[in-house]
Amino acid sequence: MNKVFIIARKEFLETLKTKAFLFSVVVVPLILGVLMKVGGGLKKRIDAGPQPPRTVAMIDLSGEFQAELKVLFQQHNTSSSNRRILLEPVSPEHSGEAEVEKLKGRIREHQLDGLLWIPPDVLESGGERPRYYLLQDSIAEQETYQAVRRLLNDAVVSRRCERRNLSKALVDEIRRFLPVDQLDVRSDTGSQSQGGFPFRMMVPFFFMFLMFMGIFGVNQQMLTSVIEEKSSRVVEVLLSAVTPFEFMSGKILGLGGAGLVAVALWAVVAVFAALGWGLGSVFEVTQAVYFIIYYVLGFLLLSSIFAAIGSACNSLKESQSMVLPVSLTFVLPLMGWIYIAQYPDSWPTVLLSMLPPFSPLIMMIRLAVRPDLPLYQIIPSIVLLAVATLGVLWASSRIFRIGILMYGKPPKLRELLRWIHAR
Amino acid sequence: MNHAAVDLDQVFKSFGSIVAVDCLSASVPAGAIYGFLGPNGAGKTTTLRMMLNIISPDRGRIEILGHPSTKDNAARTGYMPEERGLYRKMKVRDVLTYFAALKGMERRRLAGAAAEWLDRVELGQWAERRVEDLSRGMQQKLQFAVTVIHEPDLLILDEPFSGLDPVNLELLRDIMLSLRQEGKTVIFSTHMMEQAERLCDFILLINQGRKVIDGTLDQVRSQYQSHAVLAQLEGDGAFVETLPMVSGVSRQGRALEISLREGADSQELLQALVGRVRVRSFAEKAPSLHEIFVHLVGRRHE
Repeated sequence: MNKVFIIARKEFLETLKTKAFLFSVVVVPLILGVLMKVGGGLKKRIDAGPQPPRTVAMIDLSGEFQAELKVLFQQHNTSSSNRRILLEPVSPEHSGEAEVEKLKGRIREHQLDGLLWIPPDVLESGGERPRYYLLQDSIAEQETYQAVRRLLNDAVVSRRCERRNLSKALVDEIRRFLPVDQLDVRSDTGSQSQGGFPFRMMVPFFFMFLMFMGIFGVNQQMLTSVIEEKSSRVVEVLLSAVTPFEFMSGKILGLGGAGLVAVALWAVVAVFAALGWGLGSVFEVTQAVYFIIYYVLGFLLLSSIFAAIGSACNSLKESQSMVLPVSLTFVLPLMGWIYIAQYPDSWPTVLLSMLPPFSPLIMMIRLAVRPDLPLYQIIPSIVLLAVATLGVLWASSRIFRIGILMYGKPPKLRELLRWIHAR
Repeated sequence: MNHAAVDLDQVFKSFGSIVAVDCLSASVPAGAIYGFLGPNGAGKTTTLRMMLNIISPDRGRIEILGHPSTKDNAARTGYMPEERGLYRKMKVRDVLTYFAALKGMERRRLAGAAAEWLDRVELGQWAERRVEDLSRGMQQKLQFAVTVIHEPDLLILDEPFSGLDPVNLELLRDIMLSLRQEGKTVIFSTHMMEQAERLCDFILLINQGRKVIDGTLDQVRSQYQSHAVLAQLEGDGAFVETLPMVSGVSRQGRALEISLREGADSQELLQALVGRVRVRSFAEKAPSLHEIFVHLVGRRHE
């Protein structure tokens, strides 16, 4: 058996057994799934479920709407019985400033949900605008506001019709809303996918997140295991059997394999989840192939950096100061993912998607948004990443070779650079 | 075997401005137990690591079992570093087979060898447990097994006795002796002279990276005249301390250990004694390695 393979196999199996790995592979998607399910269910329940009736006071200074609105609110309450709004008209003689203030006080104390204030000249053009007082702190109150506004608007329209002797039925017919179905050309069934829309927007993010977790989450293990091997002095026995380069390659391959397993599991979960939510297939085979290419290269890049850092340090704590700048660099694209997803062809996006170490994450977003990305953009990006990865791998193995047997103070950057050039 | 197990030729290694090993030449005969002595920081560990090709020398040549020192020798060498370490989360059996496989043992022989060595170090019942569940002493035994499971021809042990309890000390000594019986070579470094004295056929003493002396234990001893005599006297021996050639007297049971001044002849002492008391026994004390060590390296390294 080849020694690199023996090490890779051991790293692979031992990584699969670690609690951190089990946790990230099984529990994280489980929690995400449960959260989305519960979140989605909760949203639906809120959307459809009954709400306690809202009480809205009304001051109508125009004196035009008392009766009309009463009828309209009753109609509303019978048609949407889960969203009942109780109208509480205030008689005109009690509608001075003081009364308004009193009602606002009741809203503040949650005894009242809203106050509709209709000015005297509401029907004149250029007249004062009606007001709706509320506590702006929940979406449910917004819903009530929307309903009240719509009902008042209806009342105003019918008043205007009356004034001009127009038939209300005719106006309603003219104003009838025309719905437009939106259809995604990628979905096979051709069914309308209004519900799937926000989820689809999350697909690029999901791709990027998967790439990020696959590269970053798994490579934490590289850092901890190298430091553990170094501080427990297992390395000396290992290095009496294998070269540092064999050792490092074996570790990277084994961990990378474990990472692939994790990513594949997450992807499978995601695909089934997407099917379950009726999204259809969320990615294509070419995207999966590119994902694997970028994942492997990106993983190699980071894991060789982490191996070098781990080899130079004696404890996780020591390593943090070196890990931080590396992590920040890799995390940068996460911050701008919305911009990248919105403008996948803008020049900053294209430029960043060429540059390692950003390319794996950014390319994943771009490919998710535009599966037909031209090859003349993909190939240079892959080549640059591969070249950078090879270079970093070489430099890291030089650092690793020396660092792994060095104890005592962690080296400065200058020292690390010297190790690269040391004989 | 006619070649040396290890041949060092003008080996030099420095770390930055610190010279760890300075033009060291030595030859370790095959089939011997070879003690590698020296104070802390003498360059012992560095030399051992170079033999194992963990680090490479700046200059000079190292030959292991007749071959240049490369990783190809891994299968034939066993190494126990001074600071011991095993994978704490792995199962005992897996640790053994993992290292044996890395050392180049054939796959089909792994399970049998692991079982055999687990029995030999009395860890058979612990095979499925994790290393971290073992006591410190049991971990030491496991480390022995890891070192020798692949049946190396050359065993290199760095300070093997430090931190061992007496039972494990005996066990390790037995393993070393039985390996020598099988014609294998054992090199170990130590600064514990009593252990070296009990076990070694050959010794090499280094200090500050340079060879001080090497050879068989007898050769080394014979180069260093003793400066002590063990004598059993009848009658009052109190006067002995006042003799001009005597630098000190200490009581060793019924005998006196009489240390002589530099350049003094033990025969003069005998003559001086014979006139005053009855001498029942008189023997030159063979110099202990400890004495030679102290003499050569100086007391400051104790």
